[in-house]
Amino acid sequence: MSVGAPSPGSPRTAAAPLLDVRGLTRHFTVSGARIDVLRDCTFQVARGEVVAIVGQSGSGKSTLLNLLGLLDRPSGGSYGFDGEDTTRLGEGRRSRLRGEGIGFVFQQFHLLERRTALANVGVPMVLGGVPLLRRRARARELLEAVGLGHRLHSRPHQLSGGEQQRVALARALSRSPSLILADEPTGALDAASSAMIMDQLLEQARIGEAAVVVVTHDPKVAERADRVVELVEGRTL
Amino acid sequence: MLRSLTAGVVLAFAGSRANIARTILSCTGIVVGVGALVMVVTASDFGQRYAVTTSEVQGGLPATLQVEVSGEVTDRAALEADLLRVGGREVSLYQTPTSHPLLRTGQNVVTDMSVNGVDPDLSGIRRLDLARGRWFTDADTASLAPVLVVNESLAERLGDLTRVQIGTERWRDARIVGVLSDSSQDYSANSAYLLRSPASEDLIFGGAEAAAGPPVDGLPPGAGFGDPMARSTYLVLFDSEHPAAADPFGQEFRTALGSVAWRWGADVPAEGISAFRVDHAEAMREPLRYMSWGLMGIAAVTLGTGLLGVLNVGLVTVRERRRELATYRALGASRTTLFVAVVMEAVVVSVVAGLIAVGGSLALTELGALLVERFLPIPDSVGLYVPGGAVLVGLGSAALVGLLAGIIPAARALRASVVAGLRD
Repeated sequence: MSVGAPSPGSPRTAAAPLLDVRGLTRHFTVSGARIDVLRDCTFQVARGEVVAIVGQSGSGKSTLLNLLGLLDRPSGGSYGFDGEDTTRLGEGRRSRLRGEGIGFVFQQFHLLERRTALANVGVPMVLGGVPLLRRRARARELLEAVGLGHRLHSRPHQLSGGEQQRVALARALSRSPSLILADEPTGALDAASSAMIMDQLLEQARIGEAAVVVVTHDPKVAERADRVVELVEGRTL
Repeated sequence: MLRSLTAGVVLAFAGSRANIARTILSCTGIVVGVGALVMVVTASDFGQRYAVTTSEVQGGLPATLQVEVSGEVTDRAALEADLLRVGGREVSLYQTPTSHPLLRTGQNVVTDMSVNGVDPDLSGIRRLDLARGRWFTDADTASLAPVLVVNESLAERLGDLTRVQIGTERWRDARIVGVLSDSSQDYSANSAYLLRSPASEDLIFGGAEAAAGPPVDGLPPGAGFGDPMARSTYLVLFDSEHPAAADPFGQEFRTALGSVAWRWGADVPAEGISAFRVDHAEAMREPLRYMSWGLMGIAAVTLGTGLLGVLNVGLVTVRERRRELATYRALGASRTTLFVAVVMEAVVVSVVAGLIAVGGSLALTELGALLVERFLPIPDSVGLYVPGGAVLVGLGSAALVGLLAGIIPAARALRASVVAGLRD
């Protein structure tokens, strides 16, 4: 079943990379001391490409993912998303871009505890102003696509870890993003669930022609990427 | 912007529904506060209407003066013309008969009753709630029998109203044309208005008891004798702006009337004229207003406590919900959406509380109305009910409290770091 058609109206061209990261830096000041977490990150991600970001703990993987997801602002460098320099964008535009163009899959799922699977998948569409009936139909379609058609009305605590991550995946796909950012998506799952999640993530991304950037420690996950970007002390190799 | 607002409202409703325990906890203070506010507005409204109505029923419309002239009035028509000339709009006799007449049907004599001789124009001065029948007309003054309007208690005591007789020393047939509701009672439980007419002149003003009929027998000692003083009493309606209305003791009015006393009273000294206001609605308005403000203050304090409760719960939950709110931001919620969602959650909680409070107030008022109806003789028009204004005030205050209580947690939610929230 095709569930992730690209959103119309995006100025996509085959030649331009979806992500264009150049000299990206991020430092924090803690008790007056400056800590450089990202020193120089430069790489591109094409549309539909699957990229794994690997590196040791503290190498800046999650910080980089936060910058790519427009959850944080870089200290220097530039980050182009879909041809737009995001470092110059205001908060409102960044929120809209995040909602329309980026889907997140978190290690800890981050589902809303008191909502059903159906409602959780519908949240990005609520934020996007999708009418109720269309929202419900789309959420149902996505949950069926990830094999949870029978758990529509279950709440997160009634689902296994693998099922929760599939709900999170369906949620990430709900607005047909051009980029899916996955932060250790299998980190909290057993081997069988990990494999299933990765299968579905890559399958749905392929159907929707979405690029995937996955941060992982797991070599098995990295193996399945088209390309691996390694971070060492805040620098891409 | 519109999309952000709509999304915020949708998330707020969903959040309130999902967090029932939090919603109920936040509600309690608001329910009590709004309930108190609605009840205060209701009580104040009832008090005002009750005061105005009882004043109009038992005293007169604003501004009514009771004018008493001691001494012999030789020309009543001239006196009544002068009462109008010095500023009165309506004049009616309001005379306690010098010889206290009684009523009976057959052998059933009613002795514990009050009678006042009046004119048809009393209906323009005093509020008269008729339970049945009608008020006097000018045509009734031509009646050969005395014409009366009695209150319900007296009507019940009399029984058959078609066979009523009136008398002091001798009984004569009388005609009852209307029955006033008990809320219109005068100074005693059983009261009657006797129309001034040629047929009743002697009953009202004394003089020859010329009417034929059997003697009144079986009277208790002292009954059958009214006010021995030669005093004429009138009710006079003035414009509220008239100086006589502004002066509670009618000094100016008395002086003006006294200067022409020679026209109608051969033996009326200036100090023999007294006048005073009998309508008391205006006098009651001020204490009622102070009482309302006092109660309103108590309700406001209660509501303020409710506000602090919602604010407290809001602040605690924003801290507890950092991860949830960060997730919303990660999924594309703008700052406006998040602000609206948090504020609207507080508003939704408060309005739900307001609705519960209004519902409770309606139930309590209904119960109160049953008690009032049972124990207070009030006209139908002064029913106890929750006025529309009280509902609006209640719901409006609830929404305002929600808004105020939601702003600080919402501002705090915006200040929180999304990245830190997702790491929680």
